[in-house]
Amino acid sequence: MTEAAGGGPRLQQKVAPPDVNALVSVLREASASRSVVQVVGGGTRQGYGSPPPFDIALHMTGFSGIEEWDPDDLTVTVGAGTPVADLEAELSGRSQTAVLPEVPGASTVGGVISAGVSSLRRARLLGTRERMLEVRLVTGDGRVVRGGGRVVKNVSGYDLPRLVVGAFGSLGVITSMCLKLWPKPAAAATVAIGDAETAARVRRPLAVLEHDGATDVFLWGTPEEVFSSAARLGGEMREGLHWPADPDGRYRWSLRLPPASTSEGVSRLPATWSHLAIHGAGEIRAASDAPDGAEDLRGWAEGMGGSLVVVEAPRGGINGMDPWGRPPPGLEIQGRLIAHFDPARVINPGRLPGGL
Amino acid sequence: MSLVQDLRAVLGDDRVLEEPVELYLYSRDASLMQGQATCVAFPHTTAEVAAVVRVAEAHGVPIIPRGAGTGLAAGAIPIDGGIVLSTTSMNQIELDVENRTAWVGAGVINLDLTKEAEPYGLSFAPDPSSQSACTIGGNVANNSGGAHCLAEGATTSHVLGLEVVLAGGEVLVLGGQAPDMPGLDLKGLIVGSEGTLGVVTRALVRLLPIEADVRTLLLDFEELSAATRTVSDVIAAGLVPAALEIMDQKMTTAVENWLRAGLPCDCAAILLAEVVGEPEAVEAEAALVSRIGMQNGARNVQVARDEEERAMLWKGRKSAFGAVAQVSPNYYLHDTVVPRSRLVETMEEVQAIADRHGLDVYNVFHAGDGNLHPLMAFDASDPVMLEKVHRAGEEMVAACLARGGALSGEHGIGLEKRDMMRDDFTDIDLDAQARLKEAFDPSGLFNPAKVLPEGSRCFDFGGVRREIPDGAWV
Amino acid sequence: MGWVTEYHPTTDELNACVQCGLCLPACPTFRLTGRETASPRGRIQAMKAVHNGILQVDQPFQGVIDFCLGCRACEPVCPGMVPYGRALEGARAEIAAQRPGFSHRARSVLLGRVIGSRGSLRAGSAALRAAQSTGATSLAPTRLRRLAAGLRPLQGRPRATVGHSGGSGESGKVALLAGCIQDEWFRPVNHAAIALLEMAGYRVEVPAGQTCCGALAAHDGKADAARALARRNMPVFTGYDQVVVTSAGCSAHVREYGHWAPAGEQVGERAVDVTVVVARAIEIGLLPRLRVGSGPIAVQDPCHLRHAQRVTAEPRSILQAGGFDVVEIDPAGMCCGAAGLYSVLQPEASTELGNRKATQIRSTGVTRVASANPGCEMQLRSALGARYEIAHPIEWYLRGVMAADESGRVAGVRTAR
Repeated sequence: MTEAAGGGPRLQQKVAPPDVNALVSVLREASASRSVVQVVGGGTRQGYGSPPPFDIALHMTGFSGIEEWDPDDLTVTVGAGTPVADLEAELSGRSQTAVLPEVPGASTVGGVISAGVSSLRRARLLGTRERMLEVRLVTGDGRVVRGGGRVVKNVSGYDLPRLVVGAFGSLGVITSMCLKLWPKPAAAATVAIGDAETAARVRRPLAVLEHDGATDVFLWGTPEEVFSSAARLGGEMREGLHWPADPDGRYRWSLRLPPASTSEGVSRLPATWSHLAIHGAGEIRAASDAPDGAEDLRGWAEGMGGSLVVVEAPRGGINGMDPWGRPPPGLEIQGRLIAHFDPARVINPGRLPGGL
Repeated sequence: MSLVQDLRAVLGDDRVLEEPVELYLYSRDASLMQGQATCVAFPHTTAEVAAVVRVAEAHGVPIIPRGAGTGLAAGAIPIDGGIVLSTTSMNQIELDVENRTAWVGAGVINLDLTKEAEPYGLSFAPDPSSQSACTIGGNVANNSGGAHCLAEGATTSHVLGLEVVLAGGEVLVLGGQAPDMPGLDLKGLIVGSEGTLGVVTRALVRLLPIEADVRTLLLDFEELSAATRTVSDVIAAGLVPAALEIMDQKMTTAVENWLRAGLPCDCAAILLAEVVGEPEAVEAEAALVSRIGMQNGARNVQVARDEEERAMLWKGRKSAFGAVAQVSPNYYLHDTVVPRSRLVETMEEVQAIADRHGLDVYNVFHAGDGNLHPLMAFDASDPVMLEKVHRAGEEMVAACLARGGALSGEHGIGLEKRDMMRDDFTDIDLDAQARLKEAFDPSGLFNPAKVLPEGSRCFDFGGVRREIPDGAWV
Repeated sequence: MGWVTEYHPTTDELNACVQCGLCLPACPTFRLTGRETASPRGRIQAMKAVHNGILQVDQPFQGVIDFCLGCRACEPVCPGMVPYGRALEGARAEIAAQRPGFSHRARSVLLGRVIGSRGSLRAGSAALRAAQSTGATSLAPTRLRRLAAGLRPLQGRPRATVGHSGGSGESGKVALLAGCIQDEWFRPVNHAAIALLEMAGYRVEVPAGQTCCGALAAHDGKADAARALARRNMPVFTGYDQVVVTSAGCSAHVREYGHWAPAGEQVGERAVDVTVVVARAIEIGLLPRLRVGSGPIAVQDPCHLRHAQRVTAEPRSILQAGGFDVVEIDPAGMCCGAAGLYSVLQPEASTELGNRKATQIRSTGVTRVASANPGCEMQLRSALGARYEIAHPIEWYLRGVMAADESGRVAGVRTAR
């Protein structure tokens, strides 16, 4: 039970449609009855943004599994409800990766895409948007729509696959997507270094992560390349990629900055916050037990052209603090776009910036 | 006042053209289509673009944004009148070396950006073959690729922000240096929208550090299929080189006739492979490519000895389309994509289609991406020939789609392929696409008749129907 | 009405363009304006439209064609190998024929009266020279004053070249085309050529009866005049191993005599720019090579050498053999804006291009410049000012050799016979 907007109790219904047709019926009915739908993948980011009180919890377990994997083309088409961990484990069998978050917990592929969460390797291999080749979704009013295609390069029509990343289902419920894969090279290593500056000795490392006072450089490539890069860095080397988990706490934050300001961003975090900074990408993931200092940090970040987003907060949110901060430009157009895909506005209404 | 008078009031007399010869030249691009412009405008600033948009709206005349006019899909053709808005005067570059980004005017030539960034050890990754001429605005509009987007991704992967003028003359700055701007990624939607959503005036692009080392290999084969199989095998072996490009014998011969670079013309196909990175990696990866090539029957593997030789090889590759002019006055090509695992069979089918129609097909393509450019050289003044070429082209596209491919990898849909969109997408898919357009441009002001076929919006909102007129194909 | 003369651009010439646009960035006027109408592709397409009866040879068409420098920088970058210079001359011949009343006055004065006959050129030159010595150039019209500012300062009257013959002939027998403007205003270049070629063992003759090569007329659409001049020159230059030309604009044109005179290729195929002959003579040891020590020099590529003849290595190797450190100023080889009569007819674009080139040269910090074409030299001098010393590569080389003779810097030379 949650509190409805009107204050009265709200009867929540859990559905897990087994296929696209069933999903279409669910969404059509929801649109007809103006029932609010919350889409649930692994349930790991249900507090992200401004989650509305809902009537229907739509579980995506029926859309799980690999539909088509063409290892020789480095592409995979996968159901939205597939756990990221399962997909990556399967791909690893052929030394491939979808470059999705490394420590995903129960997250599903559809979930990280809808929430726009990226890999820690994003400075080198770019974010989750770059993985998207094709998307299939069901719009709020029950239309089954496909955009993009199952090839690595495609400019046929508007880039719907990219648009659904970070859209929190506002354009429709994603049922499957085709992702561009990356081969995992023969060697990999994690090297501890003194400070992020040292990482500049390697031209294009896989990742440079700073967390809780430690800085690690992640390398992959041919064995010769990895060993010579590690030697140049000079720190303690461990074989393999030892990814840190996202910081955890009552409050979880995402600080986004111009890449060159990452170190300054780390220095400006309130002392009690734990963090994981992705150098070269301008993303800092942080966690804290209290929201103190967040407003100041947000003010600074927005002045730099960045943002401080609340990823998770105790129920009820933070007093007077919008989870997204300053609304982005083009809200009117965003509203019109969403209205075209979810005219009754039933999927996660109000969860996006600007109350969309 | 007339349209031209109103535009001149905003831009000045000399920045609005309307003489027949001027309109004629601005009614064409590098495709085979010919449109009819009403006038040509040369704004110098974003504010002037916004003013032009407002004048256009007041007169109910569409705007067709244009960069260098090197597009091959007729994306810059004013189909039945309209203001051709030339971006070439908007050519400022502001580098931010620390953040490895640059704000770039829409009219900046792609290669000029890379030259500007080079002294700082940086480069702009997308490198369409027309990079010496095409503009960043055009690259953004078409989400252009190029030989080196195999490893680094096409233009959209390198655009962090956009300044864009929308309907009503509204100016928005979307995205920025910080990642993951909250809300819907409008910027990502505008990239590749072929100027149909608004006019991009500036782009914030990502620059990449120039790699430590590079090796460019030239492999030659007695069979085209052997070259193609090499590419499939390289990808299957888990290597994504910087570039994997194939030219067949006819293409190589035409290029060599002009360039005199010593390209082997006595083989069925050449494969140009480039690996980049740390020296140790380059060494190992070059060896792997050579080995796979030899296993597939490569006759020779040559390595470019120096930067000059490397530049020469790339010049040859990137001039291929133009070199066809030595053979025939016109060429028509399709820019289709297939899964890389199905390259060999697709190439065989393309050849079979050309043979069936008695046409000469030239092949030069981004093999590493599965992006084909089967090119037919012909004389368009022969209507029978033109018809034949069109039919063969359609069959080639169908052959690619049947193998899970796509209509266009990098050239765009434009006017040329919009009617083929129905072969790839359902009516509902196209209706959804039309809604995306409608959210930005409800009155159909920007680059009408491109990308989507007529009537894509199931519940048509009453715009002017724009059929492609009979005389459009030249 | 389409074309009216026999010189018009042909179907083959025009069909060679597939509109790929790779020529655009190489074109100085496109770079200046960003306009299709000022690009090689645009001009070719405009000609094609006239050819196909879609457009007329009218004032706007003339505007499109007139704005072209004729630098031919588009030719080397064109993978379709469009013979742009050829087509341009054809279009200009059509404009001259169809729009005679619209020709510029300056053009007809310069071309029709002056360059057409060496006699009147001499008279005109004498007047200009007199004006220069009395400081009276300010009396000349502005455009001509700019031109005059680029001329070399007076250094007395050097001895005549036409009629000269000398040299051993061990290396062969060559004729020298003295040129019209070249011989009137840049005669020291011809003298340097004669000296070097004779030093290299050539028999050098500057045959009497020669006239202007016809390049300026051809570039300007005076096709009949160009043809007449080529015909007059043909018998004069027949019978030599090579016809050496000291101005890049002229050498490019004479090499195309096959197009202008019956059996013209007999002379055209033997015609050679002086930089090519001298560089070759140095290479095979007929002329000396100096050790370094002559200082830095900026090298400018005349379009008719670099683009029309694809000659770039030779001026550099000559300068290096003269002991100079060659400083590059413009990897793109953009036109300096001189372009024959262009500086007079399109002063704005010409001045802008001249200033860009001057900025490139100034940024090198070098004050000595080598240029193998008189038009470029004049343009550079008027853009750079008197502090800069500009001469032909062979003049710089000769100067280096003379100086080295005294200081003993000549190395590894088989002394000239």
